[in-house]
Amino acid sequence: MGVAFVRGPLRAILTAGVFVSAFSGMAAAQTASSAEDARAIEFGKEIYKTKARCQFCHKWDGSGDQGYGGNALSLRVTQLTPDQVATTVKCGRPATEMPYHDKFAYTDKRCYGMTAADAGDSKPQIGNEFLQAREIDAVVAYLFARVVGKGPATYEDCLDFWGKDTQQCEPMKK
Amino acid sequence: MSSLRLGAKIAAAALLTTTLGAARAADMTFERALNADKEPQNWLLHHKNFQGHRYSQLKDINADTVKNLRLVQMMALGGLASGGRYENGNLEATPIVDDGMMYVPNGWGEVYALDLTSGRKVVTKWKMDPGIDRAWAGDVACCGVNNRGVALWKDKVISISLDGRMFAINRATGEVVWERKIAEPAVGETITAAPLILRDLAITGSAGGEFGIRGWIDATDLNTGKQVWRTYTIPGKGEPGNETWKDGKDRWQHGGASIWVTATYDAQADTFYQGIGNAGPDYDPEYRPGDNKWAASVLAMTPTDGKIKWGFQYTPNDPYDFDEISEHPIIDVNVGGATRKLVTHAARNGFYYSLDAVNGSFVGGRAYVDKLTWSKGLDPKTGKPLEYDPSLDVQPYVVNSHATRANPKGALKCPMTSGGKNWEPAAYNPELNTMYVPSAEGCNMLEGKQQADFVDQGGTAKPRDRFTGGSANYPTNEPIYGGLAALDPVTGETKAKIKLTYPNWSGVLATAGGLVFTGHMDGEITAYDAKTLKEMWSFNVGCGIMAPPITYAINGKQYLAVLSGPHWLRPKPEALKDQAACSMLNVFTL
Repeated sequence: MGVAFVRGPLRAILTAGVFVSAFSGMAAAQTASSAEDARAIEFGKEIYKTKARCQFCHKWDGSGDQGYGGNALSLRVTQLTPDQVATTVKCGRPATEMPYHDKFAYTDKRCYGMTAADAGDSKPQIGNEFLQAREIDAVVAYLFARVVGKGPATYEDCLDFWGKDTQQCEPMKK
Repeated sequence: MSSLRLGAKIAAAALLTTTLGAARAADMTFERALNADKEPQNWLLHHKNFQGHRYSQLKDINADTVKNLRLVQMMALGGLASGGRYENGNLEATPIVDDGMMYVPNGWGEVYALDLTSGRKVVTKWKMDPGIDRAWAGDVACCGVNNRGVALWKDKVISISLDGRMFAINRATGEVVWERKIAEPAVGETITAAPLILRDLAITGSAGGEFGIRGWIDATDLNTGKQVWRTYTIPGKGEPGNETWKDGKDRWQHGGASIWVTATYDAQADTFYQGIGNAGPDYDPEYRPGDNKWAASVLAMTPTDGKIKWGFQYTPNDPYDFDEISEHPIIDVNVGGATRKLVTHAARNGFYYSLDAVNGSFVGGRAYVDKLTWSKGLDPKTGKPLEYDPSLDVQPYVVNSHATRANPKGALKCPMTSGGKNWEPAAYNPELNTMYVPSAEGCNMLEGKQQADFVDQGGTAKPRDRFTGGSANYPTNEPIYGGLAALDPVTGETKAKIKLTYPNWSGVLATAGGLVFTGHMDGEITAYDAKTLKEMWSFNVGCGIMAPPITYAINGKQYLAVLSGPHWLRPKPEALKDQAACSMLNVFTL
């Protein structure tokens, strides 16, 4: 992925990468970022939750899962950089169940230098919905603000993701 | 309240009752249900008749006239809200139609009573929203937000919701008379099957085979809203069949064997035939050595007490996730000069089976899919896969066709994990003695992961966690398409078969008009000649069809109806990558 793909809020998060990683969850979103960045994080959360349905395979807290979405890896302990995560969202992960979300991936060589013909059987599946660059930036901003490197999800993380109008977080209540 | 006001209220209530009573169709009785085929103008039961034929005697729409079929009514059915792991609810329901009124739910269990009598405008008489905690229920739905239909009983509509409740609804007003919590999402249980109503009992069961449940079938007394019996699909300690869970760690307690499609019923023997889902964890059979009864089976059961008469297991120690929840049509046919009652099943594992209805013995069967590689065939005496070895605790079947702990990446195997035939129903034309089986054709591979034990058994897997022991993977370039087969219902021999562009998720309707109907993922609804399967008519409703078509008549005029709406699809066909979700009822007539 080229740096040109990283704009706006994601660029802000990356610039403040060390600062962000020193804080957890909402605190980081509230203190490290501008209002625009905070909006991007919330926008990214909605894409992760509903539009791209990343949670179907990676679970709501990003801890990874199994079943009908492949053996999806944990995003909480990933060693990938924001750039690499953005590339993975955009292009999928060849020879795995991780789908691509750039509508024109593999129509040219933008993804790993491969066309569909080059990728052959290892070409990823198409995602639930396609995402524009702004949306991929937002998902990555969300992940690096709230998920990546944050340790096990907490009750508060659960409330932040699902809201308070559901029983979803009851099992996590101490 | 004064006596005058009370008197006025009683008088008003009496008037209301009289008015509604006059306008209302006849109450739904067991007698009417037993004779559903004598009311061809109505679609009274989930599978049209108790035997599960999905065959209509109506024939105004036939090979000569079908070309004139046109769309005349539409109605939006909502249910597109997100919840849990899903972007929206699906439409998989078979509507019920009685005297021009249709009763149909969307994926979130919102039930609509629709007046179709004008033949033009659909009038919503009422809508009942069960008020689901969508995130809570949707997070433990394995495969989309689904509700496959409602049922009629006396003057009530009986419905279920994904979060495990059953509702008795006043058919005239839409008011909930009672509700009963049956399944518990806190342990991964949900309900998606339309209730089967036998006399005053509503029979349903728990989905959740990918979440470490122990499946069950449950009967509710509709007069009281209370439970009458519950039978676990995995026998408990000391019960016959429990010995087929040989792990020694009581893993049968989380062994799956869920229920999510309505059973068929034979009145003569007072027996219902319930298909049972896969064993759990799905892809780690070494976690659960043994045959794992009654996962991947059919059970013949007595409705009054839930006792199991017999069971037949299709895929012992199932390592493929071959749920066999789908319908088991009951047919009376001539076999070797004698009339026999058979229970049939187009299985998710790719084989078609016919079994003796009295004792479950194997009568006939063979593959109905184009490619079946996990087994070389069925034993002609037992109906078991030829590779099945009862002395083994873990069945290899065709080597490398599934994941093992030593070799977690299985090779390509066919049919796909989803089948074969999944929940989408077959149809049986008794005049032509032909079974119509829709299919998904193609192959995929399994990737195993050693399953952790449940927390109540000393492990780390929590209730509501996915409990699958790996995943089902889909190579991109492997061709996936659909099929529609006309089969001999005893032997499974193919009389005719056509390829469909997409895997079939709609199911089939057969009619006395010499036609069979099915819908397609691209929104096409198509009629085929019942003998040749030649396409006779087709129309595109603009978004995918993943629900079974039905037919009925109002004022002597025959209609065809089908829901179109989104579905949890994986893998998503490239050709449909820009298809939007919708949620519609579509009605056609000549």
